[in-house]
Amino acid sequence: MLHDLLWERNIDLAGECLDHPFVRRLGEGTLNPDCFRRYIAQDAFFLESFLRAYAVAGAKCADLRHVKMLHEFMTGALEELKMHAGYVRSLGIDLTQVRPYPATRAYVDFLQAMAWHEPPGVTLAAMTPCMRLYAYIGSALAAASPPRNPFQDWIETYAGEDFRAVASDVESLLDALADDQPAVHDAYRYAMQCELAFFSAPMEDEA
Amino acid sequence: MQEYENTPLIVAAGSLWDEATRAAFLDAIGEGTLPSAAFGRWLEQDYRFACGLMSFQAVTAAKTPRPSQRPVVAGLSSIDAELDWFENHLGQRGLSTDAPVHPVCRRYVDFLLATAYAQPFEVSLAVLFGVEVCYLAAWSRLEAQGPYAEFITRWSGEGFAAYVRTLHELTLRHPHPAQQSCFEQTLRHERDFWRMTWEG
Repeated sequence: MLHDLLWERNIDLAGECLDHPFVRRLGEGTLNPDCFRRYIAQDAFFLESFLRAYAVAGAKCADLRHVKMLHEFMTGALEELKMHAGYVRSLGIDLTQVRPYPATRAYVDFLQAMAWHEPPGVTLAAMTPCMRLYAYIGSALAAASPPRNPFQDWIETYAGEDFRAVASDVESLLDALADDQPAVHDAYRYAMQCELAFFSAPMEDEA
Repeated sequence: MQEYENTPLIVAAGSLWDEATRAAFLDAIGEGTLPSAAFGRWLEQDYRFACGLMSFQAVTAAKTPRPSQRPVVAGLSSIDAELDWFENHLGQRGLSTDAPVHPVCRRYVDFLLATAYAQPFEVSLAVLFGVEVCYLAAWSRLEAQGPYAEFITRWSGEGFAAYVRTLHELTLRHPHPAQQSCFEQTLRHERDFWRMTWEG
C-alpha cells in the first residue's frame, strides 16, 4: 500500500522525531513544563490549520464517501482541539498572545498551500505524517513511560486506540486518493521535516 | 528608496525593510565579485520562486475586482515573459529548471499560495507590492555595471518602477487591517531568501 511505502521511505525522519530531545524528555517525564506550554500553544495554532486543510480537501473530493471520511477526521481534530483547550486552561496559556514560531508558520502555510492548490491526494500526503507519526510516538512512549509521568495524558491520547484508528483511516483515504508520484512523496517527506522542526522550535525558544 | 520612504506599510515594518532589501549577495553583485556557485543557486531558486509567484499572481488576479484587476493581469503577463527569460539564462549556463526547491524558497512560495487563496484580495495586493517593491529597492541600489549589469537594469528600470508604483496605488485604494502583518511576513521571506542565496 502507498501509505506503507511512504512511511518506510521516511522512517529515518520518524526515528529522528522519536529520538528528538523534546520527545525523549516528554517520554521520561523530564521535559521543562514551560517548554511543554510553548509546544501546546503552537500546536493549538497548528491544529486549526489542520482542521481547515481537511475541510478544503473535502470540498474538492468528487466521491461523497471521501467527503464523509474527511468530515469524521474534522470531528477528530475538533476533539483534539478540545483536549488542547483543557491544556491551555490548566497551563494558563493566553492564546491571544501566542505568535506562531517560524517553524509553525512554515508548516501551516505548507498545509494551506497544499490544501488549496493541490489535489486532495497530495493534501492527504501532507497531512498523514502528523497522524501516523503521533500514533507511532504515542505507542513508543507509552511502552516505556515511568509511573507518574506528568505528561501521561498526552502520551495516552496518542497511544490510544481511538487515535490510532483515525490515523489508520487517514492512511486508507491517502491510498484511495493519492497516486505513487513525486508530488505525493515530496509532500509526505516535507511534512515529516516540518514535524521535526516543530519539536525543535519550543526548545530553541528556551535557548 | 526615497519614493517609498513615507509609505505606511514600509514605515511600520521598521528595520525589516532594510533587512529585506540589503544583502551581502547584492553587494557582491554590484561589485561584480559574486561567486558563480551563489549566482547559479540564486538563478535556480529564483526561477522556482517565480513559478510559485506566477500561481500567486494568477489567483490574485482572479480575485481582484475590476478596474484594479488590470495591472495585476499585466503583471501576470510580465511574469510569464520573465519565466522565459529565466529559462534562457538557466539554459545558457547549463543550470536546471527543475532544481530541488530549497526549504527557504519553499516556505516563501507556500506563504504566497496560502495568502492568495485564504486571504482577502486586498491582503494579496499588499503582499504582491511587498515582493516587487523589495526587488525594486534591492536592485536600484546597485550601479548597472559589471558582469551582472543586465540583471541590475532589469529590476531597476523605469518600466518596473512604474509597475511597482501602480501596485502601491492599489494597496492604498484597497486597504485592509491584515495587510501590515502579511507585508512584514513578505519582508522576512525576502530577507531569508537573500541569505539563502549567499550562504546556501
